[in-house]
Amino acid sequence: MPPDPNAALSVRGIEKRFGYITAVDGVNLDIHAGEICGLTGPNGSGKSTLFDCCTGLQTANAGRVFAHGMDITGWEMHRIVREARVIRSFQKAVVFKALSVEDNLVLAGQMVGFPGMASTFGIGPASWRRVRTLREQAGHLLDMVGLAHMRHAPAGKISFGQQKLLQFASMLMPQPRVILLDEPMAGVNPVLIDRMMENIRRANQEQGITFLVVEHNLDAMKALCHRLVVLSRGAIIADGTPDAVVREPSVVEAYLAG
Amino acid sequence: MASVSSHGVNTHGNYVYANRQHGLRIAGFAALVAALAAAPLVASEYQVHALIVSMVFLLPALGLNLIHGYAGMLSFAQMAFFGIGAYTSALLAMRFGTPFWLNIAAGGLVAGLVAIPLGVPALRLRRYSFVMCTLGFAVIAQTIAKNWVSVTRGDLGLSNVPRPRIALWNGGFEISDIKSYYYLALMLAILAVLAFIAIVSSAAGRYMIAIREDETLAASVGTPTWHYRMIAFALSAVFAGAGGSFYVHYFTVISPTVFDPFYANTLLVIVLGGGVGTVGGVILGSFMFVALSEALRIAPDIRMIAYGVLLVVIVFACPEGLLPLVMRKIGTSPAKEVANAT
Repeated sequence: MPPDPNAALSVRGIEKRFGYITAVDGVNLDIHAGEICGLTGPNGSGKSTLFDCCTGLQTANAGRVFAHGMDITGWEMHRIVREARVIRSFQKAVVFKALSVEDNLVLAGQMVGFPGMASTFGIGPASWRRVRTLREQAGHLLDMVGLAHMRHAPAGKISFGQQKLLQFASMLMPQPRVILLDEPMAGVNPVLIDRMMENIRRANQEQGITFLVVEHNLDAMKALCHRLVVLSRGAIIADGTPDAVVREPSVVEAYLAG
Repeated sequence: MASVSSHGVNTHGNYVYANRQHGLRIAGFAALVAALAAAPLVASEYQVHALIVSMVFLLPALGLNLIHGYAGMLSFAQMAFFGIGAYTSALLAMRFGTPFWLNIAAGGLVAGLVAIPLGVPALRLRRYSFVMCTLGFAVIAQTIAKNWVSVTRGDLGLSNVPRPRIALWNGGFEISDIKSYYYLALMLAILAVLAFIAIVSSAAGRYMIAIREDETLAASVGTPTWHYRMIAFALSAVFAGAGGSFYVHYFTVISPTVFDPFYANTLLVIVLGGGVGTVGGVILGSFMFVALSEALRIAPDIRMIAYGVLLVVIVFACPEGLLPLVMRKIGTSPAKEVANAT
């Protein structure tokens, strides 16, 4: 099956084995441009491994990955981020704790704010202008996620929920086309969950960013996603609208068994 | 003046940022430069010598701070690069009579160039494996210096290295008296510190900090981590090589003992004891620890024991290094700074 050229992200026959365990077993998936697609499944169903294979953190044993029709299989993570504009988050490593909230955003924006590696060593007016532009952009994003009042605080000093919002804001800095979120709501209090969902919706509607979201919180997924894909034992067992998918017997069984 | 909570948030709910801290840093740096410029007027010849030695060690220490404090990799190869810079300069000056500035540039450049092929395999390693690899390199460098007799004269080392000549329109002059050496060292130290500040406060410096904090997370914001680690490693070697070059033009001798672990340890003490990941900490460290070991000469019998005990005390009193402790004492640590500013 050839990749859909209109898909923001396509995986074809992705397979990843760890010794005798097959974590991802020949998955085919097309994430359409502009949709918010949820990816869920019991623990150990291969969600994170599939993420890792799509974003260059792990190399799949078989299969190919395409972004906007471009074959990105085997690319290193930084190249996927820079050239395919596919950006991901992590469950645990969230922000750079030693940097200020604002500097986290400036850092994330540097890949578009600075034209090449040599320019990152630049000192003087051209570099100051670049950083000033990034700081202005960061200011808007901090207003959006509601962290503007702590822009100069060290990122390690703010709460975990706020760190997740900061992480989300920093993913918007380099003008991404696809964002893969790994459990954005885990460990976040209900008020911040609402704020996170609102921010995802806005980024999707206003900037047309495609989202693939791994999340266990099914209520949040039903409210947020246009489409829900369920993975079990490394294979897709359901794919459709969230309401229909959560009623499917195979999904109920997989969750109860998992 | 708005009141502030312990979290450094003022009554408007804003985290306050302190420009005062930036101003204080510049003022502190200017005061230090002024004090150092005036030092030879009051200090004895021996004290001036000790200050020169401090500034010689400041260069490789800045390099170690870059690779360890900013890019997060502990390297034992610094003194090897220091030695490579020293031997390069000595050989150039002795065989070709090249001028001082060329020698120092060549010393830094050759050390930086040697770092690249070493970095290709070494930077594939992480943490302790990387440390062991750099340690191995230092041992190899010493073995080569000892056994490549036709070039290095082996254990005898190179002696009578020409003193620095400063070329001017009227033919220039030779640096020979200790005060001239001192001001040359001071100028070099200032240049090195400014270069270091420029690197770590650039966008590239931010990438290096990101790599130190979490390499995978750094890659996820588009950092070509391997490239920046390599650049940091090569630049750290350039600092060390330039330091070695000045060293050999000052002492006019160089032998394979420069690769001994003692010197590598001294660098670690300077950087970790002074305050890793800070500029001021390394400056403070290099003056404190050289001054300390010299000051303890008043009791030669227990000198090294006292030195060791003092190190242990410092580690217990301020595990982050001396500078953070000093900053806390005078109330300008970043946390307090945020709280105090309004």
